[in-house]
Amino acid sequence: MSKSKVHPRRENPVRKVQRNSKEILNLAVSMGEELLKNGGEIYRVQETVGRVMEAYGVQDYHVFVVTNGIFATVHEQEEDAGSMVRDVPLGDINLKKIAGINQLSREICQGSLSLGQAYERLEQCRNATPLRDVFLVLACGIESAGFCFLLGGTPFDSIFSFLLGLLLQAFLVAGTKRNVSKFLLNILGSALVTAGSLALYGMGLNVQSDRIIIGGIIVLMPGVALVTGIRDSFNGDYLSGGIRLMDALLTGICIAVGVGASVKIFQLLGGGALPI
Amino acid sequence: MIVQLLVAVISTLAFAVLFHVPRQEYLYCAVNGGLGWMVYKFCLGCGIGVPVSSLWATLTLTLVARVLSALRKMPSTVFLLAGIFTLVPGSGVYYTAYYLIMNELSKCTAKGIETFKIAGAIVLGIIFGLALPQSWFNRLGRLTDKKEAAGKI
Repeated sequence: MSKSKVHPRRENPVRKVQRNSKEILNLAVSMGEELLKNGGEIYRVQETVGRVMEAYGVQDYHVFVVTNGIFATVHEQEEDAGSMVRDVPLGDINLKKIAGINQLSREICQGSLSLGQAYERLEQCRNATPLRDVFLVLACGIESAGFCFLLGGTPFDSIFSFLLGLLLQAFLVAGTKRNVSKFLLNILGSALVTAGSLALYGMGLNVQSDRIIIGGIIVLMPGVALVTGIRDSFNGDYLSGGIRLMDALLTGICIAVGVGASVKIFQLLGGGALPI
Repeated sequence: MIVQLLVAVISTLAFAVLFHVPRQEYLYCAVNGGLGWMVYKFCLGCGIGVPVSSLWATLTLTLVARVLSALRKMPSTVFLLAGIFTLVPGSGVYYTAYYLIMNELSKCTAKGIETFKIAGAIVLGIIFGLALPQSWFNRLGRLTDKKEAAGKI
């Protein structure tokens, strides 16, 4: 609203010109960006941006969303034409933020929020305090132990899987903070788990090293990319779906490379063939 | 069997934490994951192969996730992502890499193709689950709306 004070204009007698179309566009695209960054599907982003625009009375708009970018224009033919391009790098999954934005867009559609309030809520949603790293590390350990058990490990194996899971997530958290590339993290992470498990085996402990490794690498598996890629393709966004599926495939290969490298080194050190 | 179910629930819960699922949805996520694993185990027990078992389990997961999303007014992704991880072919990737390094190429190919089959089955499961029209689930959602409204009055 502050914009109209800077540029006072006479009301168009024929058609009311929407002076805040740029702000509406910004709100809608920012919400879309938040969804996309935290792992939302393409159709959800597209729908949310469209609904928010319509809720604030903008009918003439175009939105184009791919996995790592949003392009949107409003009122192309008019005086107050606006456009926005956002580059959105693939980020971590944060379903809390997606749920929050979803709720916000629902409330906007019900017409209960002014533009200013909506911006405030968006800020709140964006700055929601993330879970402490300790919890993430603990969760990863529990998950590793659980999968080790589910896939045929003994409780004794699960204890070591738990410890390796803690180590892996601590490594991932530290790596992400230093902006290490995702591929390197996957290769090193899976190599770390494999090396740890093989070291236990090498020390003569009676463990099933393969179960421990599988429990550990599950957290690196591209399950999210797979699911989101399918959902995108299913909705006709083949380009975005393709990007995700390619990501899934490459991540899988990276994990295999990490595991393979570790096993090879273990062999060269004289460990011989592993029991399967 | 009960121990398996419990462990699957706890593992899915851990994944829900990793993906920052809203706290009030933890329980639903975990139950969904446990359910998927039970269906998978049940199918395996009936003598169905791993890929087809994965398909049935994923189908169940997706449908339950959509029902929950209508009832809880949450994006269905919230319930789907954590649950699906119990079925992702982690062991396939490991054995493929392992046999490749060990130069046992025929086993490596067999495992590699099996991994792709399982991934494909998961894909099909999700697609079948998504194919049901959204309006059916919306009706479920409206049911709870009425209940809430009635409660308020």
